[in-house]
Amino acid sequence: MPDKKKIWEHPWGYAEGFVIAMGVLLVGFALQIFVGNIHTQVYRYPVNLLIGVIFTTGLFFLYFSAKNNKIIYWFATVKATVPALIVSVALIIIMGITPQFSGAMAEHKGAHKLFSIWGWHNMTTSWTFVFLCFYMLFIIGITILKRTRQPFKTQDIGFYLNHIGIYVALLGGMLGSADLQRMKMTVEQGNVEWRATADDGKIYELPVAVQLDTFKIEEYPPKIVIINSNTGKVQPEKRPETYLFYGTGKTAHLAGYTIQLLEYLPQAGVVQDSLNFRYAPFIMDGAASAIKIRVSGADVTTPIEGWISNGSYMFPYHVVDINKNHSVAMAMPEVKKYVSQVSVFTKKGHSKKANIEVNKPLSVENWMIYQLSYDEEKGKYATTSVFELVKDPYLGVVYTGILMLMAGSVFLFMTGAKNKHV
Amino acid sequence: MMKWEYFIYFALPAILLWLLGAYNAWIKEDKKKPTIYTIAGLIVFFMFIVGMWISLERPPLRTMGETRLWYSFFLPVAGLVTYKRWGFKWIMTFSTILSLVFIIINIAKPDIHNKTLMPALQSPWFSPHVIIYMFSYAILGAATIVALYYLVKRKQLEAQENNLLNMADNLVYIGISLITIAMFMGALWAKQAWGHYWSWDPKETWAAATWLCYLIYIHYRLHAKPVAKTAMIMLLVAFISLQMCWWGVNYLPSAQGRSVHVYSKQ
Repeated sequence: MPDKKKIWEHPWGYAEGFVIAMGVLLVGFALQIFVGNIHTQVYRYPVNLLIGVIFTTGLFFLYFSAKNNKIIYWFATVKATVPALIVSVALIIIMGITPQFSGAMAEHKGAHKLFSIWGWHNMTTSWTFVFLCFYMLFIIGITILKRTRQPFKTQDIGFYLNHIGIYVALLGGMLGSADLQRMKMTVEQGNVEWRATADDGKIYELPVAVQLDTFKIEEYPPKIVIINSNTGKVQPEKRPETYLFYGTGKTAHLAGYTIQLLEYLPQAGVVQDSLNFRYAPFIMDGAASAIKIRVSGADVTTPIEGWISNGSYMFPYHVVDINKNHSVAMAMPEVKKYVSQVSVFTKKGHSKKANIEVNKPLSVENWMIYQLSYDEEKGKYATTSVFELVKDPYLGVVYTGILMLMAGSVFLFMTGAKNKHV
Repeated sequence: MMKWEYFIYFALPAILLWLLGAYNAWIKEDKKKPTIYTIAGLIVFFMFIVGMWISLERPPLRTMGETRLWYSFFLPVAGLVTYKRWGFKWIMTFSTILSLVFIIINIAKPDIHNKTLMPALQSPWFSPHVIIYMFSYAILGAATIVALYYLVKRKQLEAQENNLLNMADNLVYIGISLITIAMFMGALWAKQAWGHYWSWDPKETWAAATWLCYLIYIHYRLHAKPVAKTAMIMLLVAFISLQMCWWGVNYLPSAQGRSVHVYSKQ
């Protein structure tokens, strides 16, 4: 029997792979402890572009100048890949368990010294993470280059699409993150705004101005629930039940009670005198919706009638008490859709009118404008819309990588494991 | 109108038909009967999904329970496909049992279902993203069954062994290609909905971990002499990560009130 191979004796195997991957990890940890997190501003354009170009040409140079070098070739084997992947997964799992905070905020509630010292609360900007990514890129790069030495076969298309795809997407996404700008802009109906707040709280003047012409919210019909009058919790507590209103004359069954829906006022106001409390139509901003109900149930001797309303900024909410502990209430309706009709102006003199809503952002020059939020206190009467403006100059690079990966996956799906390549 | 309460009336016949199919796979050499029974079960089960879809006026993909519905549907599909392709008699029994587990969870712990669909989910990406994910989860569930079968029976396999490993490889290749497609569809959608294609939201982080776990398996199996036992253990670990990504993440401190991927809470 041959002697067992000693470590660092060629050919290298998994042991060397783990030692090197762990080495990368340790260097990362050391830098993290002594230098602290990486500030993304450091590698803004043109630094990131330079790093990308130097790293990639460096790979070519290293590969072609060290042809037939055992060590360089080893990096293109699974003996290097698998340990590197395992160490990466370990780091990502730590990241999946540890709460992540954006880099801009230094101190956080819930941050733990034991974790933050390794950069685990800001994993993506920690030295360890970035080093491991570059080590993966190195392996992927060498593997692609080594594959070009074999005569090209059709099956290789999948290999190239997947490996070049991940190289392009990962490198582009990582370096590009330095130039990614995300800002919040709050605009009042009828006003024009061109200032926006970045993550770090600083206010910037943008080359794009947004005028909010109108803001509209569509809500789902109201929901009826039984609540615990003391805690406000929806009943039954173990499995809360809700009833989505869709017309009068219907009967809702909730938490053992039967609720007849007698009358519905989508826009209602409170009418109150010394004897009476009721709702009446109120066609103005600030109207609440109200439903007249009749409740019966095993522990209700005579059916109780009354109005429920979820209220608005003008009127308080109103419930119907069934007994000491239970009341019928109208929950806040869920939002179906919110749309900002805007006019957008750019410094270059372009202007356009458009609707912006969730999932339908507006693209203006290099900026994408997203519907982010609105004045939630005012609910459906909100006149303030919050946008997010995003500029990502490297999006095209990342998308190229992503599309290559998706095409590569289609290829992989069709060929399956038949295409296994040692 | 279809109601969640009616689920059991569709699930029970479906399970019975799937069990009949699985039983016939054990006793018959001919694949016709098992196929017909399984497909009949799938049709019954899918009728419920379509019914829910129509009465909810949105695809039933929002809550955890709704995704479990698709998972219980796709598992027998994956079982049937692997049975037809590789002819292992036992695979449909296990895919049916696994499907049954998720059906029982849905009956015992039903979600609250209503018609509402928050604006972020109102997108043409929604259905393909989740349906492809659920299908790939089912395929990888089948791969996990293969791995478990291998680990338990490893000493008595002999001639079967290569065929079995080959089947695991093929299932993982199909599963990972679908996961990749669904994941990056999610990325393109995230850019539309949230402004960035990848935000390292806890769900995304676990999706990345799961993706890498299966890549580890694939690359390890490329090696000239992989140890089969190690490879099968890798599949089990990968499946645990997949479960974390699917629902485990909701219980993690990293996701508390922070994940944008949590839609099932009221």
